[in-house]
Order: sequence, then structure tokens, then C-alpha cells
Amino acid sequence: MTKRYVMVHDENKCIGCQACNVACRSENGVPEGVTRLQVRVEGPYGEMPHLHFKYHRVSCQQCEDAPCVKVCPTGAAYVGEDGIVSIHGDKCVGCMYCVAACPYKVRFMNPETKVADKCNFCKDTRLARGEQPACVTVCPTDALVFGDANDPQSDVAKLLNTKITYQDKTHLGTHPRVYRVPTKRGGI
Amino acid sequence: MIELNRRTFLKGAGASGATCALASLLPGSLAALESKQLKGMGKEIASICEMCSTRCPISARVIEGKNVFISGNKAAKSFGGKVCARGGAGHSLLYDPQRIVKPLKRVGERGEGKWAEISWDEAYQLIADNLNKIKQAYGPEAVAFSSKSGSQEKHLFHLATAFGSPNTFTHASTCPGGYEIAAKAMFGTKVKRDLSNSKYIINFGHNLYEGINMSETRGMMAAQMDKGAKLVVFEPRFSVVADKADEWYAIRPGTDVAVALALCHVLIEENLYDKAFIERYVEGFDAFAAEVKAYTPEWAETVSDVPAKDIRRIAREYAAKAPHAVVDFGHRATFTTEEFEMRRALYAANILIGNIERKGGIYLGQKPSDYNKLAGEDVSPVLGKPGVKDMPKPAAKRIDQVEEQYAMMWSAGGIYQTILDATLSAVPYQLHGWVMSRTNPMQTMTDRARVVEALKKLDFVAVCDVYISETAAYADVILPESTYLERDEEIADKSGKNPAYYVRQRVVETLGDTRPSWQIFKDIGHKLGLSEFYPWDNMETLQLLQVNRDTDLLRRIKDEGFVSFGKPIMLREPKMVAEFTKAYANAKPVDEDGTYGSLLSFKTPSGKIELTSAKVEAMAPGRGVIKFREVQLKKPNELYFIQGKVAVHTNGATHNVPMLANLMSDNAVWVHPDTASKLGISNGDPIRLTSSVGTEEGHALVTPGIRPDTVFAYMGFGSKNKELVRATGKGIHCGNLLPHVTAPVCGMTVHTTGVTLAKR
Repeated sequence: MTKRYVMVHDENKCIGCQACNVACRSENGVPEGVTRLQVRVEGPYGEMPHLHFKYHRVSCQQCEDAPCVKVCPTGAAYVGEDGIVSIHGDKCVGCMYCVAACPYKVRFMNPETKVADKCNFCKDTRLARGEQPACVTVCPTDALVFGDANDPQSDVAKLLNTKITYQDKTHLGTHPRVYRVPTKRGGI
Repeated sequence: MIELNRRTFLKGAGASGATCALASLLPGSLAALESKQLKGMGKEIASICEMCSTRCPISARVIEGKNVFISGNKAAKSFGGKVCARGGAGHSLLYDPQRIVKPLKRVGERGEGKWAEISWDEAYQLIADNLNKIKQAYGPEAVAFSSKSGSQEKHLFHLATAFGSPNTFTHASTCPGGYEIAAKAMFGTKVKRDLSNSKYIINFGHNLYEGINMSETRGMMAAQMDKGAKLVVFEPRFSVVADKADEWYAIRPGTDVAVALALCHVLIEENLYDKAFIERYVEGFDAFAAEVKAYTPEWAETVSDVPAKDIRRIAREYAAKAPHAVVDFGHRATFTTEEFEMRRALYAANILIGNIERKGGIYLGQKPSDYNKLAGEDVSPVLGKPGVKDMPKPAAKRIDQVEEQYAMMWSAGGIYQTILDATLSAVPYQLHGWVMSRTNPMQTMTDRARVVEALKKLDFVAVCDVYISETAAYADVILPESTYLERDEEIADKSGKNPAYYVRQRVVETLGDTRPSWQIFKDIGHKLGLSEFYPWDNMETLQLLQVNRDTDLLRRIKDEGFVSFGKPIMLREPKMVAEFTKAYANAKPVDEDGTYGSLLSFKTPSGKIELTSAKVEAMAPGRGVIKFREVQLKKPNELYFIQGKVAVHTNGATHNVPMLANLMSDNAVWVHPDTASKLGISNGDPIRLTSSVGTEEGHALVTPGIRPDTVFAYMGFGSKNKELVRATGKGIHCGNLLPHVTAPVCGMTVHTTGVTLAKR
């Protein structure tokens, strides 16, 4: 059966500490000034004392129907056999169409490699070594779960079956593979 | 058709290449080195983090000679193989071009920022000449020694003692000292909290989700999210821990003691306390109960703004979960001058429900030798102590030995800020020299202007650090320490409910001309003519002495990085005691109730937990019984100014680390919308804070997450020395706004003060 890698971000467990951000940068050599992954702590929303923060993971959503792949003129942006949206660096001409097309604003031009860059679930580095993505590996409060949703025995499949989750901008029909467990306080 | 390929496109688009702005080179910095290729000591090295003082077990992998990926060490179960942003960014410190990698000598005026590179031998000679000169003229006690806690502290304080000075200081009185001294007074020792097994956690501004202590942070989150524990938070600011709480109360700054005493009041008045526990283990309950009678929740509401009905309900809910419930005694104990009473009141609320040595409560922890005695066999190796026997005791009194009430602090890190009194006012005598290791009092001690004045007045100042910190900027000599990724250190005891050891190891070969602090202070000892106090050659000989020459054990600790022994035990937890006795046939006999309750004793004068203390009464008359005293932390027209930790920085140390500076380099001041609108301040506006000792300029963050009578800033920002290029001049310098105040008994500095806020 084909793999369907997904990431679940539990906003109740996330403390916005940026351990994921730093680990991603270290593992993937992401230069200063650009970022593949960050968690934005937004708010607080509401009126005292009923306040809440939102912990918003900002990274490639690994869309099943990815606009960045559709607009890429050279085939640099592609969907692999594992379903992960990735980039052939040598085919990228730096046209920035993908950067413009991404509805989640998570693609960027890497100032060092001059290749359009983004999160690829650590496909070339950690996944290739049989490890979990860097962000999942270090997350202090276990707010991130990653795995093959097509494997009913995987932690991630069990989580998706038992927790309420949502995805960002589903109305665009992109079918993102980053799922979010909403915080128990406040709306989505 | 034009073939579009990468090369032609880039050419056409004229993308700019290497236009990296050249920062001006700091003398002695890593930037001046030609090759920065990293040579790893192995594939994956287990070690200990040093990006803050929690010292989490880590595992580091060198990638292609140019990068280090750091994660947690999975062998340490409660740490879960995890690492925070600071820990993950350790390599960014390692090859920060602004890090100091050559000894430096001041060539201009103090603090002027003019430096010359010198050799290690010149640096040692300069220090030895100056220290010996001071010793001859004024006695060895005229030199103070202060250090970050850990290995550096041991080696620097060994040097101090060998030199003959009693004046050694850690950062205790600027951070954790208050709860340590309160525990010493009540339990005779420090205690730990078992957050991960707690079913009800009451938290007074201990922000474990921003001031990350990996095992406790993970433990509390697991208790909350996976096991359904309830978390109640009292904190003036809506912090991340307040956000994750089931209930949050924006308590008036510095009034936690009132709410804690009211909780105790309800527990006693409503008979919700554990009478059998009190009877068996506690001294001074009656006097405490008599005092607490007046501290009703209604009274506490008038002091703290926490509704009385909620205090009452929370006390009942808490008692219903006893003994698997806990009142967290906090970490940074600098909220009020009544810190000693506050921390004791928090412990009292635990003692009343008898959660001591129970799951989810408070426990004393197991030392390896005690654990072996309990088990009746050598479950855990016991480390040898490779010190020097019969070290001479310094003849002079410590400079903080002025008032008897502070007696407990003299052996617990000392009252750090008395260095200023001794330097500036010769109280109790004049200091002439100050040697520091990895400590930054300019940021952490309060009243920065006085710290500057003291540093300028001293005859000689030497600082060991990895950066030209705000404090190092005023030194005569700067000694560049190797980063923790380049150092070997002693094996450290990490025992909790069972014995455990771990060790810091070199991950990469040293970059530049730096040295580990154990070597630096040993070398200085030799230069000072104190070689007789250094019978060991290097770290390896020290480690071998620690393991009593058991090389297999040393190899195992180094390979695994973290090794734990035996089964966890809490003396009054029947299930754990049953498992323990099942595992160890010769274990001590169990009491009738299936616990080791009869073995639980305390190193206090009475051998019991001292809810009321005759010893404290003798030291500080009127303070034997825990009592509320009114304090004035601000003037009526002022706002409270409070601070806290952020997850991406460590107070006085990390603000120049490139990766962390990129995440956060400024600290906006949190202002409530009502307060802001009265002063005509909008979000992002430039503002000015003025206190009794200083003025700071920054920007406003207008947010409902703060009380209207309070402003907040994350600490550690706003450095004022030009050498910390990424941190200087960015944000509010908290220490510059805090007056020099010392809390009774525990000797703490105080981080709550009054300020006026204005738009600029």
C-alpha cells in the first residue's frame, strides 16, 4: 500500500517554545532570515480572565493537490512516491512561481542555494536514515506526531481516529496533510 | 524556444551572490580564525547541555564537519530524548564568529572596550600577580569569587579556598535561593516535586512552559494532557503556563503568600488536612494553625484580588486529590521581600495534605549510598570524592556574615549582591578583587549602575566566559572558556527516585585557543604557588578517581551518557515499596502499613518537618512561625514591574547566540489596553520606564494578558556593552530598573518594583 505521510500538531500540548524551529534549521541547514518551520504564538484572544493563545504551526502543508507543483514550469516541484511534496534542486530556476502560488505562504527562496525551499518532512535527511523529522524528534511536550496514515497501526492513524482535528484553508481543495488538534479553549 | 535552465535564469534575474556584510572583527574572536572545520570526537556523543543551568542530557551528532545536530539523550527517560530551542542551538554558540577564543587584556579604561590579545601564560601571570598583591596588602578575603553553578563552581571555589578567601558566591540569591532556604528550614534539605504523577497542581507563577526544565516540563504536560490532572495558576501575567491551565488568576504581584496561607487556612478550618501525618512527622503545627486562623480567603481576596470563593473551592478540590496533589514551590524566588514566608507557606500547603514521599507530591530523593543501604545490596556504584583532604579553612568571615538571620545562606551560595556592599561601602570590610566564571551580574544582580560602580572601583577584575558579556566588558583580563561542546567534565550525580549518573563530554575538538574552566583554574592555582592543592593532572584522572578506577563503569557512563540504577522508590508509596522489596531480597524490612514510613526522617533540629522553627526564631526573631507581613513593592502612583523567562533565551547568557538572537532579540513591554489608553500608548509605540534607580527605553506590547496595574518584560535583554553586537541596545534592561533590596532570612534580590510608564 502506498504511504501517506502526515503530521499532527496538537495545539494543546504545544508551548510555542521554538525547539522545532531550531532543530529544523540545524538539521536542514536553513539559513538565517528564512524559515521552513515556525510556531507562531498568536493572541491572547478573548477578555480577561478568559484568554487563550493560538499556537499556529507555519510550515509546508504537504498538500495532496499542491498548487506549487502545478505552477512549477520545470518540474522541480514534484510529488514523490511517498506522497511528499519535494523539490529537485537542480531543476529549479528560481522563478518564484511556487512562492507566489502557495496559499499558506510557506515557500521561500533559499538565499544560499538559490532554490525554492520548504519543509519536506526531512525527507532527504532524517527520513532517509529511518528517523522521525527533526521537529518531531525534539518537541519537548510531544505535541507533534508524524507517520504513515495509511498504516492503521501507526500512532498518527490512531491519533486521527481519536482526536478532533482540523486543517488550514481546506476550502481551497488543497487537502493539506498537516492536521491540527484544536486548543480546548477558544475557536479554531 | 529558449531553453530555461537554472543557470541562464539566475543570470537573467541578476540574483545577487555573496554580498555578506563584513562585521568588524572583534579582537580574540572566532571570526579571526581561518579554518572553522569541526572535528567530531565520534559519530554520536552523549553529553550534557549548558545553554541554561538545567543541564539536560543530550546527544550530539557532527554533520559533515560543519554542523552539529543536538537532540536529547533517550537514555534519560524523564527527559524523553528531547531538547529545547536553546539546547538545539548550542552549535550556533560553538561557531559564532563573535565568540572569544583568545585571552584578552584590557588596554583602555575599564568598560571602554579596548582589548589586546595575550597568551594564556601572560593571562595567568597577570592574574597571579594581581591576586597575590591584594593578598599581601589586604588578606586573601579581599578577593571575591563567583561562578555559575556546576563544574565551574567546584573548580573556582576550590581555587578560592586554596587561595584563602571565604568569599565564594553562586547565583542562588538572584534566582532559586529562596525556595532552597525555605526547604532547608522546614525539611533540612532541598526537596523535589513529582509533577508527572500529580492529579492536582497549584502553581504560583512557576512558568515551566517558558522557563523550560525538560523533565518537569514534560512531566507536567503529561500529567495535564495524558492523565487529566488539573492545573491552577496564580500569575499576574497571562504566560504560557497560565494559558495551559484549567484556571488562571491574575494575582496581584508579590501577594502569593496571602493566597497560600488562605489555602492552608481552609485546609485546617475545614479539617481537610492529614492529621496522622502531622502527628507523626511535623513539629510546630499548633503555632502555625493559630497564626493561620486569621488568614481567611476573604482577607486574602483583599490582598491578592483572587476571589475568596475560588480560594475556598480550590483548597477543597486540592484536598480531595490528596496525597497525589501538589502546590508547586516555584523556581525563581524573587517575587517579594517576603520570599522566605511565601516559599514556606507553599511548602506548608503540601505538608498539610501529607503528600511527602507520595506519588504526585514532594519527595526528598535518593542518594546512591542511602539507596544501597535501603536495598541491602550495592545496586548503584557510589562515586569517590577526589577532592583534597584537609583543605585549610579561610580565616576571615564571609562578607555576607553580617546578620545572623542569613546564616542558612552562607553555605548555600551566599548573598551574591553583598559583593557590591563590600566593594562600595567596605561593609563588613573592603573587597579589592573579583574573579568570575560564567556569571553576568550586570544582568542578573539588580541595580546595574551599582554593579558598574563596584566593577570600576575594584583593584582587579578577571572574568572567564565565552563572550565579552556585559560583565566581562568591565574586566581587566578575560579568559575564554571552551564551550560545553568542547569540554570534558566530572561525572555528575543525577539521582532522583533512584540513583543515576551522567557526564559532559567533548563533542568536537576545540576551536581556537580556549580551555575548559577546570584547567584554567588549576593553571591559575599553580601560578599562584598553590600546587599542593592540585594532586590530579587532568579530567581523566579526576573521572577515574570518581569511579574508584572502575574503567568499565566509566566507559559505560561515557558511552550511554546517562546511566540509572535500581527501581524508583518513594518511602511512603506502598506500591513502589512492594516492587522495591520484591527486587531486593535483602531490602530493609517494611512497616506494617507496607511502607518505609518509619525510615522517613529529616535533617532538622527536631528530626521532623518544622512547620514552625525554633532555629529560625533564634536566627530571625519573629520569623519562627510563618506569618504574613505587608510589604510595599511600589508607590501608589506607580505600576508594578515584573519579569519572566522566555523559552528561547537564558537570562544573562544567550542573547548574542546567533540562532537565538534571530528568534528574539528584543523584549517589548507588556501593557494592559486600559493602562495604555490612559497614557495615549498604542501597540508598538516607543515608551520609557522609570524606576527609583534607572530609566529604560523600549516599545509597548499592548495586550490583555497583563494586569492593568502591572507591566512585564522578558529578562536578559538590552545589553549596554558594544561587544555583544546582536544584543546591545535592544529592549529593556531589567536589572537597570530593579533597586538593590535584600529579602530577610533567604537574602534574595527582589525582581518586583514600581515604575512609571510614559510614551516617548
